[in-house]
Amino acid sequence: MTDVPSSSEATPPGREEVARGAHEAAEVYADWESVYRDNVVGIYQLAMRRVGSSADAEDLAQEVLIRTLKTLRLPAPVHNVRAYLVKTARTVLADHWRRHYGDQAAITEVALVPAEALSATPNGVAADRAQRLLGLLPDRFHRILELRFLRGYSIREAAREMGLTEVNARVLQFRALRKAAEFETEVLE
Amino acid sequence: MSKSPAERVGAFVDDLLRGRRPRRFAAKEDELEAMRVAAGLAAGRVGADLPSKEALDRIHQELARQMDDSPILEPRFSRRAWLRTVSAAAAAVVAGVVIDQVVGGSEVPLGATAGGPVLMPDKGQWRPVAALSDLPEGHARAVSTGSVEAVIVNDSGNIHAVSGICTHLGCRLVPDDALPKLNCPCHQTAFAWSGKVLYYRLKQEPADLPRIQSRLRDGQIELYVV
Repeated sequence: MTDVPSSSEATPPGREEVARGAHEAAEVYADWESVYRDNVVGIYQLAMRRVGSSADAEDLAQEVLIRTLKTLRLPAPVHNVRAYLVKTARTVLADHWRRHYGDQAAITEVALVPAEALSATPNGVAADRAQRLLGLLPDRFHRILELRFLRGYSIREAAREMGLTEVNARVLQFRALRKAAEFETEVLE
Repeated sequence: MSKSPAERVGAFVDDLLRGRRPRRFAAKEDELEAMRVAAGLAAGRVGADLPSKEALDRIHQELARQMDDSPILEPRFSRRAWLRTVSAAAAAVVAGVVIDQVVGGSEVPLGATAGGPVLMPDKGQWRPVAALSDLPEGHARAVSTGSVEAVIVNDSGNIHAVSGICTHLGCRLVPDDALPKLNCPCHQTAFAWSGKVLYYRLKQEPADLPRIQSRLRDGQIELYVV
């Protein structure tokens, strides 16, 4: 069923190289570079899902890595480092919500971040989750959030599309988000 | 001055969707609930939960600056390391692009460095799987038509598609845009965007990914599938 690639063309890394890299990844992190390389995308995604702003997610991912790396002594076992990264991420994210929006309950919210949260996820996963969440909502709630978040309409465009005033579109958006909050834990695995 | 919750949360959502850093304010509990959902939905826009290469570079540089006991050789080390890892992919991706530009007729030339064979289903038809606007440059996305799992790729404006199933034992591939590659979650195997095997930890090299014909029509990415 396949074309066997010729051995002279662009080749994968040597098998020993792959095996060595995988061994290191499975056992210990020897230096901060490998901690960064393995986890930065997962940490960024975790932060992005919690704050929704790429600029904030970048700052928070950086803070999580720096705090963790300044505390941990390397080399250290991978699972220890990751557990510590998740713990740090919870604190940093809760601090963000508390400092920016006065959210005193953030620490309990963020405690729900699962330990395996650092695995980088495919870029469709957050989108699938959004779709599933919207699918649970009544029609007009679904529609306003779909127009705004998935189709990129401004509030003015969404209002026109739905035959509403802008003020009413904002109210509908707020009510839709609150309704979605009731379902969110069901969708968040 | 005294805005309603709908207005305050609305401003927060506007900031998120326009890529601005949201302004701080003291939110009430019902506002916070709505804002948490809004953050998750904003991250759910296609490609939005992946860091840009520039963001990763900035994080890396700051880490390098702060980890002073670990002198860095040069600031872009990580990108260089990644490029070394995926150097095999680079040639294959280029070949894939050339081939994909030819796609559209029923015969697709197979280049020597391309991925696997081209899927030519009996009774195939063009089916839209995503809007082009939902697949920014430099991103890959897993899609399904019900019968076929695929990964669509926007490589510098060139759109192409490969099977989304690992040729080893059928696990669904996970696009990793940062490197870029398609990871098999089961056995540490990865494919280039072109479908070519990049690396593997198996006794035998798995086959390259079958490619899927793709085209653009009315802003929609369509695949030739069943």
